[in-house]
Amino acid sequence: MDFKKSYAIMANDLSEVFSSKAIYMPMIAVPTFFAIMLPILTFYVSTYNISGIASRIIGTATAVVGTSSIGGPVFMAYFSVYVLGPIFMTMPIFTASVIAADSFAGEKERKTSEALLSTPITIQELLIGKMAASFLPAVVLTLAVFAIYGSVTNYLAYKAFNAYLLPNLSWILMIAMSPFLSLAAIGIVVLVSAHVQGIKEAQQISSLLILPVLVLPFTSIFGVVDLTPTFFAVVMLFLIVADLAIIYFGIKSFKKESIL
Amino acid sequence: MAPEILAYRVTKTFKKTVGLKDATVSAGKGISIILGPNGAGKSTLLRCMGGLYHPESGRIRVFGGDPYYDDAIRKRVSLLSDNYALYDKLSVLKNLMFFGRLYGNTDQETLDISKDILKRLNAYQFIDRKAGELSRGTKQKVAICRALLGSPDAFLLDEPTAFLDALSAEEVHIMLEEFAKDGKTIVYATQRLNEATRFKADIFVIKKGRISKKLGYGDLYGKVLKNAKVDIKLADAIDERVARKMPHFKSMKGSELAIIIRSYKDINESAKWLMDHGAYVIKIDYTEPMIEDMLAD
Repeated sequence: MDFKKSYAIMANDLSEVFSSKAIYMPMIAVPTFFAIMLPILTFYVSTYNISGIASRIIGTATAVVGTSSIGGPVFMAYFSVYVLGPIFMTMPIFTASVIAADSFAGEKERKTSEALLSTPITIQELLIGKMAASFLPAVVLTLAVFAIYGSVTNYLAYKAFNAYLLPNLSWILMIAMSPFLSLAAIGIVVLVSAHVQGIKEAQQISSLLILPVLVLPFTSIFGVVDLTPTFFAVVMLFLIVADLAIIYFGIKSFKKESIL
Repeated sequence: MAPEILAYRVTKTFKKTVGLKDATVSAGKGISIILGPNGAGKSTLLRCMGGLYHPESGRIRVFGGDPYYDDAIRKRVSLLSDNYALYDKLSVLKNLMFFGRLYGNTDQETLDISKDILKRLNAYQFIDRKAGELSRGTKQKVAICRALLGSPDAFLLDEPTAFLDALSAEEVHIMLEEFAKDGKTIVYATQRLNEATRFKADIFVIKKGRISKKLGYGDLYGKVLKNAKVDIKLADAIDERVARKMPHFKSMKGSELAIIIRSYKDINESAKWLMDHGAYVIKIDYTEPMIEDMLAD
């Protein structure tokens, strides 16, 4: 096992991704925009429209946040964590899917895989390099986006309510889940890479993982599930087991022919 | 002694398409040619030899090992496939550096090898250009350079000069002859007869995934020039009534004669007849048949 070769694979994939504005700009700019705009909108609703939108879901909010005082800070705390949090949890899935699809299915589409697999690289070195190339940016970008949205939220909350709302335990657990969400998306790309013809197909299949995550805010708003720290801890455990299974079967089924 | 590269009774299928059927090729030091039309199985054979495909049956041995499983073997054998794809968004140098690292080279070693080869192929001026901006021919030159980065002992070349200009193609041929002289093993797949006969080489003809026995040039020309039309140009026209008596005569136009021969050996007979009748032969030529027709069963 030569980690230098895995590193070379990773560096090459990253330099491919980050040499194309069409790939990296939407991946960075869109989440950053939302990381700034969504807390501002939340703040606006909490401060100026609490009797309208906020009051409809404030019952759920007080139940989850654990206070009976109905008002701006409660709504903002609720919305910032239990609605925006899951929205930003799609970030590691989305980013990892885009890069992994480009990395695995892209080799097939560009037909560069033949030259790559003709070198003395092992399947393990190849997989580690390619998975790292998708995993690291996904986690780093997710941390950055959570940091931006957390900072904006805290800044606005402190100005208006003289209180910092983040972090709380559920929010921290959401961040802690991002590596496992990324791994799940990457594992799915590895699994499907033998069966897809190109980048878009692989991306679409792995992006399906976003759906259950996007359902979370609604389950919370409609009171179906309480997004408590216990809930997130259980989901994280489930994700770890699922990741291990997906990656195990992904690696086991991966053959050179998968990307040829 | 075992050959450097052996494909023994190899069968490889892709769903319902047969890529190779019971194909056997052995290549020792020097150049071996795989000659066949499009879709004959040349690329599949080379990919099996390069360890990209695992055959359903039969066995591949490269320097005694199985290149599909033995990753270290691929340090000793280099495959230049027919798609010569590069990472288009990266520069030529970055492409080569990347592959050099996978072959275990230092960046300086890669640069030195690349400089030497690209200069010989008249492509060094493109080293900082993005690969996506290059012409097909230049991409192929870079791909040739990439295949040489690991300083391998054996080369598997799939139509390596398909998009090169004549000068660069000849430079590649000269380079390969040098490698052959140095005791390296070269398996060269082509569909061009002039390339197949360019080297002092064993020739294997492949068609529909099956490989004929090893051929010499005589055998090959026996196939190529079977029932072929050959043009003979004379210094001066001769009387057509006399010319019609020439063996294998077909037609005459001015000082140009056409003959239809059963085998290449008939050319001498016609040429000798002309000389015996006072004519001066200044050129003998034939139109190369389509490779598909040439290799017909």
